[in-house]
Amino acid sequence: MGAVSSVDPRPVVVAGPAGDGLVEGRRCTACAEPSAFTWPACPTCGGPVEPARFGPGGTVWSATVVRIPVADRTPPYALAYVDLDDGPRVLAHSAAPLPIGARVRLLAAAELKVERT
Amino acid sequence: MTVAIEGVGTSGFGRQPDVDLVDLAFAAVDEAFRDAGGPRTVDAVWVGTVFGPAGVAQRVLRAMGLTGMPVLTVENACASGTTAFAEACEAVRTGRYGRVLALGIERMGDGAIVPEPTDPEGRTGLALPALYAMAAARWLHEGRTTLEQLAAVAVKNKANALANPRAPFGGRFTVAEVLASRPIADPLTLLQCCPTSDGAAAAIVGRGGSGGGGVRVRSVALRSGAPWNHRSREVWGHDLVRDTGAAAFAAAGLGPEDVDVAEVHDAFTIGELVTTAALGLKAPHIVNPSGGLLSRGHPLGATGLAQLAEIVWQLRGRAGGRQVGRARIGLVETMGGGVSVLDGNACVVAVLEAP
Ligand SMILES: [Zn+2]
Repeated sequence: MGAVSSVDPRPVVVAGPAGDGLVEGRRCTACAEPSAFTWPACPTCGGPVEPARFGPGGTVWSATVVRIPVADRTPPYALAYVDLDDGPRVLAHSAAPLPIGARVRLLAAAELKVERT
Repeated sequence: MTVAIEGVGTSGFGRQPDVDLVDLAFAAVDEAFRDAGGPRTVDAVWVGTVFGPAGVAQRVLRAMGLTGMPVLTVENACASGTTAFAEACEAVRTGRYGRVLALGIERMGDGAIVPEPTDPEGRTGLALPALYAMAAARWLHEGRTTLEQLAAVAVKNKANALANPRAPFGGRFTVAEVLASRPIADPLTLLQCCPTSDGAAAAIVGRGGSGGGGVRVRSVALRSGAPWNHRSREVWGHDLVRDTGAAAFAAAGLGPEDVDVAEVHDAFTIGELVTTAALGLKAPHIVNPSGGLLSRGHPLGATGLAQLAEIVWQLRGRAGGRQVGRARIGLVETMGGGVSVLDGNACVVAVLEAP
């Protein structure tokens, strides 16, 4: 519980050419690992990073429906870990519960959100 | 240098909003000093706490006359107490100090922990039950467990706790009752989630004294998680527990087959299954004889040292109705922390030997 910061730590989502969402992240120039975040160095090797966009396609790695109130969120709400194609694993919301292994696409929304394709 | 646990103690556990943290800490430290015998002095103190306010360590220690010596406060999520213990052991092993107090303290709020808003996944609404639910859902998908096997962990641990006066959340439940309890984060239900709890636990770590009654610390390993991401084949936390356990076993010159009794981090039922697999423990009945976090509740900073106290009692053959045979080698494992992209903030595994 530090001082209040106005920085939003979540991944940045931008609109792609087809109206889908893309994650504005980074790729390591040393080890090529993708990251969903604009952090200053690669979490895997500490190497330098350059801007990269990931999505919109991905596959659900796991999923749950949260049934208790958490912070200011109203339950129930569905969450999924999604492995973006050639990209990082991201935590995303979905309107409906998602089965593991389902193909999804990232929506152009302020918060990471996916739907089945 | 040989490192031994000379004494252990705990407060009571459960929601205790009307009990001052000073009194919870004193209950644990007083019992540990009485258990150890000898002078009620130490050369240094390590205190583990997660939500404790600034200065909380000195505040509780000065109320029992422990002042002047070095006092260090550590935060390592659920493993804060065992981190304090690991540092105390290392200080004695290297000769930096002769006798050290490791203390874990925590006062929790009501209900589930609010996720840290400066963390991406915390801000996204991934409460800790949901993080474990993701692991449970994945294990169900891979056919590595069933809903009934998940529930059976809660049935076992809560039944174990019936013989443990320090575990207020025990009880006799059926698998069906566990599965029918209130859903928290699918597939986990209320009885598969550890309750919040206030409490304190302590250990006096030294060179074993002259009496030889101390439980020997064969090894203690501490690690933080590597990245957990799209390359991870295992669920969150598995590899961190596996690697920390392997380091502890190697340092002890022992393996999982040598363990007679273990207290592991069952904050959620799936946690016990993943941890048991990651450590390579083969016999579930030796795991969490105290009833675990599911029955003690989870006062974050105190939890690891409460696990340690149980293993010390087990190795001395003084665990009463929950004694696991003639236990010679005991293991303590604590892990936790939901920092995004990491396989856990920290894990501690300690391997202990009966006196
Ligand atoms: Zn890299």
